[in-house]
This record gives sequence, structure tokens and C-alpha cells, in this order.
Amino acid sequence: MNLKAFFVAALSSALDQGIAVPDDVVRHVTPDVLAVHLPRPLWARLLTACVGAARVDAQLVVETIGVPNLCEHVPAQIIWDCIQEIARRSLDGVVMTVPSASSRPTTVPTASTMLTSSMSSTMSSGSRPVPLSTPPPPPAAEPKPAEPKPPVAVGPSIPAPGADEPEGRRTQPGQRFRPNNTGVGRLGSNISSPRRPQAQATTSPTEPERGERGAVAPGGAGDRGGVPRSRRGQTEADYDLETFVGNKDDWKTSLAVDDEQLVDWSASDETVTNGEEIGRKR
Amino acid sequence: MSSDQRQAWFARMMESGLENDIFAPSDVLAHATPDVLASHLPPELLSKVLTASLAAGSMTPERVLETVTPELLAKHLPHEVLWQCIVAAAARAGVNKSVGS
Repeated sequence: MNLKAFFVAALSSALDQGIAVPDDVVRHVTPDVLAVHLPRPLWARLLTACVGAARVDAQLVVETIGVPNLCEHVPAQIIWDCIQEIARRSLDGVVMTVPSASSRPTTVPTASTMLTSSMSSTMSSGSRPVPLSTPPPPPAAEPKPAEPKPPVAVGPSIPAPGADEPEGRRTQPGQRFRPNNTGVGRLGSNISSPRRPQAQATTSPTEPERGERGAVAPGGAGDRGGVPRSRRGQTEADYDLETFVGNKDDWKTSLAVDDEQLVDWSASDETVTNGEEIGRKR
Repeated sequence: MSSDQRQAWFARMMESGLENDIFAPSDVLAHATPDVLASHLPPELLSKVLTASLAAGSMTPERVLETVTPELLAKHLPHEVLWQCIVAAAARAGVNKSVGS
């Protein structure tokens, strides 16, 4: 048995039908009753609505609290007494004096919009008595589907991958490690400036074949032998040219390099492969 | 307050009372007795009640109220009868200290 639901239906219907007016409710659900039984959040709602209203009356109280909340919190005996009085009066044929809609300024408490959704949901069930003189309302227009609106950006604009961007703002993520089978010449093909000629390191006769990377000596780029390699932080081509031998003892024996093939990088902008110039600069 | 509004209100109260088990169909027929029904229901409605009962093989309060809906109860029966039904249900629920008021 859901007595409260029955009370809600009976009282809401009485208000909707004009059988009762909010004054009938407040006559039983007095401020003293509300003070005792109404929860504080509902009191806050009520006070907020009263403060923002031009006129405080029973209709405002009942509409603000809502019939479901009244039936929920006010003792059933009081609600029943209210319904009983309404029914007695209705059965006795007493004509109600319904206040006209114009007698009360329509004030919509703005604070009601600040209420929680759960409270607001119960507000809708609050009923307003319809005066007898009021003509039936026109049929409500069918709700039109809301036009789709573009989503509003709420954060920084992040361009899609591949979107055009001005030069300089976007940096292509470079490959951090160059695969073994990529030559220097391939990289140099994309560079507008001519690349400096470099000395070709000859492969030691004793060195086993290393495939396409014949210029790399044992203990070179692929085998550093635990010796820290000083990285100059320059171009990728420079990185490729290192012929640092890892093992201090065997590099002389494993790598046979003539003096003519040595390059003095720090002394000249030009790559010198001539043995005489090397000797003269040194 | 017009008669239509009061009728609609009683219809809603009867509907809600049945929905929320405030009272059962048998409680309604305890007040809306056969004499009351026979005196106030129109002939076509009495015919429907009897036809439905004959088709089902029995006449139960539930079947009667399937035909005589809360709207029809409020339309044809004296509202005082319906109110007494509600009052008695409220007394059973313990909220009415003055039964029969």
C-alpha cells in the first residue's frame, strides 16, 4: 500500500481540477508543521523562492515545495485531514473562490533554477489550480527538434594530423636512430648544399665482411666496446662517419689506415685528401 | 467548481487508490453494492458487466471494475459512495481517526 502516492495523486488532482486551492493546503500544512517536518534543503528552496518573489502566498509555498514533497514529509494524518476537508466541501457543494490568475503577479523565482535536479524534478509535479473562468489553453505546439549546432570548443585547438601549419611551427619528428642499411648519400640527396667530400676508410684485409657497411671497422659504430663515444651533436652524416675504434689495443692491427686517408676536420673547411697538405698543416 | 471537475477528481482518486493498493476492487464493491450499481449504472453498462461475466464464467470485483472503470464509477455513482470507500481505506491505513466522517 503506497499511501503517499495516493495522497500525491489525490491532492495534485484536486489542485489541478480546481477542487482545492493552495490555501486549503496551507491551512493544514501550516508554517509550524513545515518547520517541524520539512527538510532543510526544502526550506532553503522555499526561502529562496520567497525572497525572490514579489508576493508570498500559499500558491508560492505549495508550488515551491511541491505536492510530492509535502506528501513525503508532512505526516499522513495532516495530509489526510486536508484531503478530507476538500472532499467534504466538494460533496457538500460548496463553491470555491478561486483567485484569478491576474490577481497574483506571476513571479518566477529565479533561484529555483539553482536547485538540484532532483528537487527540480519534483517541482514539475506541483500543480496549479486552474480557474474556472480560464479558457482551455491552446494546444501546445509540437516541440521542434533542436537544430544541430556545431560543438563549442572548450579547450585549446588541436590540429588534426596532416593539417597544414605554417613552416617553423611544426617539427617533423626525426628518426632517432638510422637503420644500418641507409647510406649517407641518401640523406645528402635532400640537402641543397653540397656535401663535403670525405675520406673513404678502407677495409682491413683481416676484417671479416660486414655487408654493406664495409667502412665500419670492428669496434666502430656497431661495436663500441664500452668506450664512451663523444657525440658532437651535429648532422646525421657526421654521426655516420665516426670510425672510432672501441678497443685501444687492436684497432691498429685490425684497421689499416694510411696517413693520406686521415682527415683533419678541425683545420679546414675543405676536405683534404692530399697527403702533402696534411703534412703541411700539421 | 463544476461537477466535471469533481468527477475527474474522484475518478483520479479511485484510480490511484486501486493502483497504490489503498483499497481493492472488493473494497469498492463493498460500498458500490449491487443495489447501488443497479440503481445508478446505465443499462448499456450493466449489459457490458453481465456480458463480460458470462464470457468469463464468473463475476468478480476485478472483472466488474475492468468494465466499470474509475472514470465510469465517478461518472455514474454518487461521489458520497466513492468517498466512503476512500474514507474506509484511509481508516484501515491508520490515517483517518474519524471513520465515516
